[in-house]
Amino acid sequence: MKLARLAPLAPLAALLAALLVLPWLLPEQGYVLRVACLVLLFAAMSQAWNIAAGLSGQLSLGHAGFFGAGAYTSTLLLIHFGLSPWLGLVAAGLVGAALAALISLPTMKLKGHYFALATLAFGEAMRVIANSWGSLTGGPVGISVPFVEPGFALMQFQSLRPYFYIMLAALLVTCVVFHRIRTSALGLRLRALKNHADAAASLGVDTAAAKLVASTISGGLIAMLGVLYAQFQFFFDPDTAFSLAGISIRIALIAIIGGVGTVAGPLIGAVLILPIEEATNAYLSSHAAGLSQIVFGAILIAVVILQPRGLLHLWKPRRR
Amino acid sequence: MELLQAVVNGLLIGGVYAVISIGLTLVFGVMSIVNFAQAEFLMIGMYVGYYGWLRFGLDPILGAPIAFGIAFVIGVLIQRFLIERVIHAPDVAQIFLTVGLLIVLENLALVLFGSEFKSVRTGYQTSALSVGGLIIGVPYLFAFAVSGVVGILLWAFLRFTWIGQAMRATAQNGVAALSLGINIRRVRQVAFGLGVGLTALGGSVILPYYTASPTSGGQFVVLMFTVVVLGGLGSVLGAVFGGLAVGVIQSVSTLVMPIQLQNLALFVVFIAMLAVRPQGLLASR
Repeated sequence: MKLARLAPLAPLAALLAALLVLPWLLPEQGYVLRVACLVLLFAAMSQAWNIAAGLSGQLSLGHAGFFGAGAYTSTLLLIHFGLSPWLGLVAAGLVGAALAALISLPTMKLKGHYFALATLAFGEAMRVIANSWGSLTGGPVGISVPFVEPGFALMQFQSLRPYFYIMLAALLVTCVVFHRIRTSALGLRLRALKNHADAAASLGVDTAAAKLVASTISGGLIAMLGVLYAQFQFFFDPDTAFSLAGISIRIALIAIIGGVGTVAGPLIGAVLILPIEEATNAYLSSHAAGLSQIVFGAILIAVVILQPRGLLHLWKPRRR
Repeated sequence: MELLQAVVNGLLIGGVYAVISIGLTLVFGVMSIVNFAQAEFLMIGMYVGYYGWLRFGLDPILGAPIAFGIAFVIGVLIQRFLIERVIHAPDVAQIFLTVGLLIVLENLALVLFGSEFKSVRTGYQTSALSVGGLIIGVPYLFAFAVSGVVGILLWAFLRFTWIGQAMRATAQNGVAALSLGINIRRVRQVAFGLGVGLTALGGSVILPYYTASPTSGGQFVVLMFTVVVLGGLGSVLGAVFGGLAVGVIQSVSTLVMPIQLQNLALFVVFIAMLAVRPQGLLASR
């Protein structure tokens, strides 16, 4: 690799070094480190969404369906078979990928609003199933990750530092996957079909296959992130793990704020959105529940009206 | 007999589904915007009906026109100041603007009215008629009757009034309508106000057999989209057919599966419809 190609990576390396040091500058069970973990996790989730939505333009509102399925898969395997969440990651990835492939079959040809609607219905259907299939999921009361002796083997720690590094690694993986796909032949095919589906098809791009691969990878990745979420939160229920506003819309919002279809978009969005939400929660929720969500919705409205291509485009108005 | 009863129940509920969903299809027809926040106006209508009853002893059915009026004004303002700005924007802006509205409206209701479930008491709430062995709940019958009247009024409005005709013209061809001197921005405002107004009206009408809460609207999101997609997005007559069909599907599905899965049946129908015939069952192509 030539030095000139490596040069732009210098700021990235500096950022990474700063992130590696950060947990040691913060209290290991403190609130700030907890928020930092969530920022990394949600940036990774948003990046996973970005693989399907950003590259092929299919705006999914149902990624909570894969995410929740992943969280439940590993937690149930842990409870019933004592399977380590590290292996649960693999199982969750497979379940997420299979679900994504399955739901792609009927929705693949849909565009814009219709695709958003169909995926919204899918996410909600998963929530309804998780709520009603009580014998498997524990139903609406939720499910707890069993407490064990803290340690690496079962991905359970007392300190938040290991979680921080796990989330950071997850974010790096999703970013690399996103970048690799975008710069690959598949990425070119996705870009072609995003810009003009019919033209791409007429030039011999197998648009269906390209979309299927992108959404399968995206669904598998976000299901694996669901495992990390479960291990981090210790407790969740169908309405939070399969939440439309809390998961599906939030990860889309994060990517949209930063810039859909860019590597940096989800990172910028997560760094901005989650602390704002946490702050409004901390300061406003004592007055009334719901205020922080109003802020969240208002930001979404403001961004799509002012700059629908994301904040990244504010200081880079003419890309290429 | 059990089946016939389920079908009748379904049709009665479906009439209301038609009215609350017509707005969604009307807005799409006129400006090709899918309003994800539409169901929140059902919730607004419910609260208008509830407070009209609580403060003034007004029956929610009589409160329905007030719900319509309030939602109409909110709708015109939203169209004027928000939606109008994304009319020509990419899908992502259109979708997430109304998704943002959904979140804001739901949580605004949480802040203003609290999270508890609110319901009204009316004299006819528990009454039922027995017709040839079939049991017909009076509140359902009233809601259906109001829906029928509203449907006829809407038809007359679109058919005979100038603005109604302008709306249909804009739906057919916006550019042509503009060139004929129709103020299509005004038309879009009236269409959006009318659309969310009808949904709010439906919210007040169903209050005698439903409870109002900030999440009441959210429960209808997929249902309303199923209605309009069954009938064909943009088709008002289709929404009437779709509403009745969804009511019957919901009602009959409870005969064969547990009631919690009632909505699951709907989701499956919805995704299948989108996959197979996104243009609607009634469309010619």
